[in-house]
Amino acid sequence: MNPLEITLGIMTAVGGFVDISELVFAAQAGSIFGYALIWVFAVMTIGIMTFGEMSGRVAAVAHQPVFNLMRHRLGLKLGLVTLFASVVSTLITTAAEIGGVGLVLHYLTGAPYLLMAAVGALVLGASMWILPFKWIERTYGLLGLLMLVFAAALVAIHPPWDQVLGGFVPQIPPGLSEKELLKYGYFAVAITSAVLFPYEAYFYSSGGIEEEWGPKDLPNNRLTTTVGFALGSLLAIAILAISAQLFRPINVGPQIPGSSALEAAIPFGRAGLLAALLGMLIAIAGAAVETCMANAYSVSQFFGWEWGRHRKPWEAPRFTIAWIAFMVLALLIVLTDVDVMSLVEYAIVFSIVVLPLTYLPLMLLARDRNYMGQYVNGRLANGLGWLFFAIVTIAALAAIPLYLLTSGGQA
Amino acid sequence: MLRHCLPLILILAGCSKGAQADLPYIGEARSLAAEWASVNEQASRGHLTAQYVHTMRASVREQLRTSQKALSQPKSDYGEEIAALLKEPDSASPQQLLAHSTKLKQIEDSLESA
Repeated sequence: MNPLEITLGIMTAVGGFVDISELVFAAQAGSIFGYALIWVFAVMTIGIMTFGEMSGRVAAVAHQPVFNLMRHRLGLKLGLVTLFASVVSTLITTAAEIGGVGLVLHYLTGAPYLLMAAVGALVLGASMWILPFKWIERTYGLLGLLMLVFAAALVAIHPPWDQVLGGFVPQIPPGLSEKELLKYGYFAVAITSAVLFPYEAYFYSSGGIEEEWGPKDLPNNRLTTTVGFALGSLLAIAILAISAQLFRPINVGPQIPGSSALEAAIPFGRAGLLAALLGMLIAIAGAAVETCMANAYSVSQFFGWEWGRHRKPWEAPRFTIAWIAFMVLALLIVLTDVDVMSLVEYAIVFSIVVLPLTYLPLMLLARDRNYMGQYVNGRLANGLGWLFFAIVTIAALAAIPLYLLTSGGQA
Repeated sequence: MLRHCLPLILILAGCSKGAQADLPYIGEARSLAAEWASVNEQASRGHLTAQYVHTMRASVREQLRTSQKALSQPKSDYGEEIAALLKEPDSASPQQLLAHSTKLKQIEDSLESA
């Protein structure tokens, strides 16, 4: 194991962990329920560690990306349904991220939001065309480390650490009315979806194949998915905790994504504001690239096309056309001037519905000794895998009723 | 007796239902007022860039107008409060904006407990 590669891998995972939905829901969750939803982030991070490690291991050992498995394990019809649902949910997520990029550029430059969204999409598309896979992942992941300003801000505002730590204990706050309980449930489901987004498994496992992982890369895979994701999750938890400390007492339930940047501006002034805005810009841009590529990976792998950014764009023409088309479609959605916060909510709700179908074939293959040999799931991976599969299935069933009953967490 | 009261009961029920339906917009406006106050407070301390302050204030106003348009009862006390909030100048004092937020919060709480 090359220590530099491992460090870079972990740092990339940290910088690439937070996207616009985590930013929005972490800040709102903290302002409405204080520290009481930290445990959902913590528990679901164990879920993404479990499925991330599994998808990386399957990619390294069986050399199978998730959508290849889906077609073989679910059959053509159910596979097609899953592909369609997944493409729609991930496309909405890409649109939300591009909208987020446009908004942050708007805050930074003052230029019109829609123009900035279009410029952002163009720059992202150019970076995807020019950079090879490893550098796409590293550039956005490492620059996304500017988000560490939120962790520093949390330390600087001296929160009540006993209450922050108390938030890691699974709980339902006492004294909530029926309406508040429903809202609490909606936020728990939304955070589950934001942390376990299906595109993360598609992108991560396809990346493993792009980088030609083999069994020798398994320790690196384990470290990246455990240490990297855990540290990344702490950033989201920091955003929640700052919101609980600074926004809750004055009744702010951030309605504008830009309000999150205030969390760093309050303790650190302009430097904090700029670091937060740039960190948000890179983190959201990285997620836009990942979601766009995840959709192109999914479609290409399902239909057996040549795919991958380790090839020149013209060597995998249908894959190239696919990611360009998904980027253009997402931009067109944004250009309709639909509200970014609404896009985030739709992405969250659609994604959670797809989650069980994403993780079931992965589980089935990772525990199949015929494919995985000595690298088959152990007891811990199987136990955690089935536990989180049950959790995402329950969350998927509850998502739409909770969304409707709470008007997307507003009522 | 009931026959005479019924129209009044129906009107009150209708009003209450309308106000209940407006709760999400009241909550949005309450938060937006507080976000605006935070921006102005940090701006007065020199903690923010001019572009950020300008775009955040514009976003707050735009969203407040959207919430106002969505109200089923714009002539209500909360409708009037949101209208008063929108009349505030961009650089209104944080205390003034927080006062609007607090008023909207009180209305929101009373409607929620009704």
